[in-house]
Amino acid sequence: MVILLVLPMMQNLYYSFFKWDGISAPIFNGIKNYLVMASDPIIGTSMLNTVTWVAFTLVFPALGGLVVAVFVTGLRGENFFKSIFFIPLTISFVATGIIWTYMLGKELGVLNGLLMLLGIPLKPSYLTSVPLNTFSMIFAWTWQQLGTNMVMFLMGLGTIPRDPIEACIIDGANKWQTFVHVKFPMLRPITTVVITMAMVNSFKVFDIIYVMTRGGPYSSSETLAISMFRETFTLFHMGYGAAISVILSLIVIVISAAYIRRMTKRDMLYY
Amino acid sequence: MTRWLRKAPVYVVLVILTFLWLLPVASSFLVSLKSSQDFVSQTFYQLPTQVYFFKNLVTVIQQYRLLDNLGNSLMYSAAGTLVVIVAASMAGFSIVRLRPKFNFALFLIIYSGTLFPFQMYLIPVYRLFNTLNLYDTRTGMVLIYSAICIPFSLFVYRGFYTTIPREIEEAAKLDGCGPARSFFSVFLPQSLPPTAVVALFQATWIWNDLLFGMVLSRAQSVRPIMVAVATMTGYGGGNIPWIMTAVIFTSIPTILLFVALRKFFIQGMVLSITS
Repeated sequence: MVILLVLPMMQNLYYSFFKWDGISAPIFNGIKNYLVMASDPIIGTSMLNTVTWVAFTLVFPALGGLVVAVFVTGLRGENFFKSIFFIPLTISFVATGIIWTYMLGKELGVLNGLLMLLGIPLKPSYLTSVPLNTFSMIFAWTWQQLGTNMVMFLMGLGTIPRDPIEACIIDGANKWQTFVHVKFPMLRPITTVVITMAMVNSFKVFDIIYVMTRGGPYSSSETLAISMFRETFTLFHMGYGAAISVILSLIVIVISAAYIRRMTKRDMLYY
Repeated sequence: MTRWLRKAPVYVVLVILTFLWLLPVASSFLVSLKSSQDFVSQTFYQLPTQVYFFKNLVTVIQQYRLLDNLGNSLMYSAAGTLVVIVAASMAGFSIVRLRPKFNFALFLIIYSGTLFPFQMYLIPVYRLFNTLNLYDTRTGMVLIYSAICIPFSLFVYRGFYTTIPREIEEAAKLDGCGPARSFFSVFLPQSLPPTAVVALFQATWIWNDLLFGMVLSRAQSVRPIMVAVATMTGYGGGNIPWIMTAVIFTSIPTILLFVALRKFFIQGMVLSITS
């Protein structure tokens, strides 16, 4: 496993300093790949899209998961609503992508069909106009991911002891104050995990974009993960692709640093 | 009454969300029942003039030879999960109980598989597979899937074994059990929950994988199922009733697995966060 996973990461870093088409011998060209990347407009768009993805996955699946988890607990029909949000978890990203491609189709899609039923004379082409396509895909991603985050927050809410909440209510706090001052701080460990995972996963989104738009039209909905794939395995710019993946990984590592530190610190207790 | 009124907005929002969450599932099922003619001439909520699901299914299986890919993926999922269970349970045990001295390296390995993007080692693995003649072979696919899955599984097993009291192992030691013996007769028999978690998560992951299947395989006899389904869409969108039929057909195994092992799903979440 070390051979299959750790060594390649080092090797990847090494390749990122070369110009290499995958067949002939690699040619060393220093940090040129990175310089080219800095001025590549497609990578610029791709970077912007990646940031959009990350920002909005924090808002929709993560925050949405929290909101749903908070409001659904103790409601009549709790289990019914929970299982509804659970359904998308059982199907793959590819399936999600295909289902939403159909939903969002311009002529025969369900969403435009609904708009027509409601008498709204709009017919947006969700997947080919910029920047609507990125948001459409974020929506599909939310549909798939909300359940996971909801489950995690529900677990977190379940572990909060009753006493501090009761103390709060006796002191005259309303529901909102109880939530902000007691429940939310006590959820912090789970929130860290959910936020880190949501961000890391949104950097890694590949399947949904590949299925729904292939990064198109004209690379307008690419994220770094897709750009890397296109450069490497359709254009065979191996060195350049490696450089993109190095940047991608660096960002992921920086973002998850807090999480990793917390996990390793806690793990030290066992030893 | 006032209580009910206060809750009303929450219910309204939840009902809208429920509608949004169910609509894609329902309309996809409906589409898979339609023939191509019905699909083009009807709007999305109309019932098909005749049930076409099985005809669609036969077409899809014959034209795209999906059964080959289905067999491949079944093999990858089963073999990969088996390898992972054997390797990760032993490794998890040795990390927790034998406490080796290279903790940091171990964590690097664990995080390399769970947090770092796969893109980081895609190119080197691709190259390695080419030089070792593993590219586009079933052995290669099983190998890479197991390697990718081990970190998470190791995490799960390690988390589970730390919850087993140390006294139990010490008792086993006093009775004359070496590490190997205590693993096989004390720890392994208790390992059903983590094994179920690993089986559920990893078999599903392997089944649903697109990226590695696309990069490391080319031939019909090697390609996993999701790659086959994803390439059905093509640039023009493809024949949607057929594609939907394929989507539903290929999602059945993972849905069944989820239904069978659903009580372990929550447990898996707990283990993967709190461990």
